[in-house]
Amino acid sequence: MKPRTKQTPAIRMGEMAVAQSEGVLRTLLGSCIGLALYDRRQRVAGIAHIVLPDSRGNTETPGKFVDTALPALCAAMEELAGIPLKLVARLAGGANMFATDAARRIGDQNIEAAEALLKTLRIPVVGRHCGGTQGRRMTMDVATGAITIEIVGCDPEEI
Amino acid sequence: MDDVLIPPAQLEAIQDALHAGAAEASTALGTWIDRPARIELDAVEQVPLHDATSALGDAEEPVCFCAVGLEGALGGCMILAFDDRSGLTLADLLMDKPPGSASEWGDMERSAAEETANIVFCAYLNALSRAMRADLMPTPPRFARDYPSSLLEFALMDQAVAGDRVMFGRTQFHIDETAVDWKLLFVPDAASMATLRDAFPGGQAQ
Repeated sequence: MKPRTKQTPAIRMGEMAVAQSEGVLRTLLGSCIGLALYDRRQRVAGIAHIVLPDSRGNTETPGKFVDTALPALCAAMEELAGIPLKLVARLAGGANMFATDAARRIGDQNIEAAEALLKTLRIPVVGRHCGGTQGRRMTMDVATGAITIEIVGCDPEEI
Repeated sequence: MDDVLIPPAQLEAIQDALHAGAAEASTALGTWIDRPARIELDAVEQVPLHDATSALGDAEEPVCFCAVGLEGALGGCMILAFDDRSGLTLADLLMDKPPGSASEWGDMERSAAEETANIVFCAYLNALSRAMRADLMPTPPRFARDYPSSLLEFALMDQAVAGDRVMFGRTQFHIDETAVDWKLLFVPDAASMATLRDAFPGGQAQ
């Protein structure tokens, strides 16, 4: 995974990106969740656009699953910083436009799985913007770690 | 994880059925708007999951859309997406107003879009239903504005659970022989992929 520069495109489904010091990371979310990690001292940021809670042994697309994306994202951020990091997490997404049980279950399971694994890794969750029926644009300012959530027709919110 | 893919011969048969759906929807739309209308199937695509979210163009520029769920032999959804200008022009057309009259989405404009989507979806599904010899029905249409990438994520989530590649049919519109920025997507759910394979065993179903 390469560090992202200022003008890189949005992080797509199942992908991850990391950056340090400057620029933005962003992703567009529907039923998936955006897991953002940040180290304030080193100003290292990372986002994974996660689709499902459990990889069930699939290692080909680590960014797609909670159980593989979180360790991979932490490792990529520490590789970029060159030192161990003290991370905090923010979560967004998990909406359900079509009101199907399957989609709702997946969104909820993604959030539950991410929070459980973050707790195991002792990474505190300091912000959430989850659920609902609309998509979200999640944008992270790498310099500050601030995350802005945009929903079409609503004012942007910071988490 | 197994990808639920359709073999080429069956994909061709499904494309034939969707072409028939597009033709029937063209007739219905032309009658509804009282203008020559042509709806053409671009392709039935099976693409990697991360590439699918650009199927409606610029993934970050909000679009309007009407979406329905599928009931009966197939599950999934159909989406008619359009930019604001194209959608409002349609509303003007249906309300006998000069193009450019409507400037925002009021109840009448939304209703015009939903009714148009309903007519197109029903015609499309009627043709597909005959080809499959099975019942297919849409749920009532829902109008909304959202990011195309998010919309596709909602629509494709069920297939994303089953594999790393997803399938959908994409359609273009022409009104008065002019291409308009409307896009219709047919997105079956994962369980329906097996139903489609069974219904079109090498192009035998008609």
